[in-house]
Amino acid sequence: MIVCVAVVGHQNNPLYIQSFTEADDALKLHHIVHCSLDVVDERVNNPKKSGPTLNETFLGLLYPTENYKVYGYLTNTKVKFILVTTDLDVRDADVRNFFRKFHAAYVDAVSNPFHVPGKKITSRTFAERVSTIVKSFGLSSAS
Amino acid sequence: MAPKSGDAIFASVDRVNAELFTLTYGAMVRQLLTDLEEVDEVNKQLDQMGYNIGVRLVDEFLAKSNVSRCVDFKETAEVIAKVGFKMFLGVTASVTNWDTEGTTCSLILEDNPLVDFVELPDTCQGLYYCNILSGIVRGALEMVSMKTEVTWLRDMLRGDDVFELQVKLLKQVPEEYPYKDDE
Repeated sequence: MIVCVAVVGHQNNPLYIQSFTEADDALKLHHIVHCSLDVVDERVNNPKKSGPTLNETFLGLLYPTENYKVYGYLTNTKVKFILVTTDLDVRDADVRNFFRKFHAAYVDAVSNPFHVPGKKITSRTFAERVSTIVKSFGLSSAS
Repeated sequence: MAPKSGDAIFASVDRVNAELFTLTYGAMVRQLLTDLEEVDEVNKQLDQMGYNIGVRLVDEFLAKSNVSRCVDFKETAEVIAKVGFKMFLGVTASVTNWDTEGTTCSLILEDNPLVDFVELPDTCQGLYYCNILSGIVRGALEMVSMKTEVTWLRDMLRGDDVFELQVKLLKQVPEEYPYKDDE
């Protein structure tokens, strides 16, 4: 189950954070997202293999904590999407699919002429679409 | 009813990328808001810009579409909705809500390329984002001797389900010649 998604700007400023569980305190999730940013920077600055993987947008599993898994995705404008989930068995394809849909929703949200790049995303449509994508993620991985 | 339907003309004119068009219009509205700061001023300015476009657009419309002279205002409204909107925006509007005298009607737009991706922030709630369209209709009709008043009844950016533009014919101005007959 996805507990949290976050969009972080290229200066590591938070653009959108949404948690999907009532129980866990939001602060802990924010902290996990913050720590994962360091891992992202590390992966970006020291690529494991040079050459074909330089353009990789999907960063994969960043690091597993005690009961969470954190996945990362980097757009070409250095905007990062972070996904925190409690699922133990998550297929790679599902996560990639999730990020693809999330990226599409993000692009539509920033195409709004009233959105200021670098400021938080306040679009209600974006929030609704993200909820839909998160709900469908749970269903597709269960089947 | 029109000799050349809107679809045929739309297919034959040069087209531009829809996203470029949408983003350009959005940038223009944003700049107007930054420059003028008052939402009412921006509405007026958009209407004025639309008026200037409309008075020029009507000649191109009449040249490309080859419609015959409209018999009454009802036919005019149909032509604008079916041929005009299709030719320039790529979407057809429908005409409804005729009043008893046949001078007021509503143009309904279910799909509007100007507002793709747009969400009005709370600070601009009085903004008629598509006000340029009302100016265009008003300007175009004025060039064919009809004085009209065009207002927005429903606006999708404010939560309604369609865009509804009310066109009210105020008077038909017969053509005036600038010279006298005898002297």
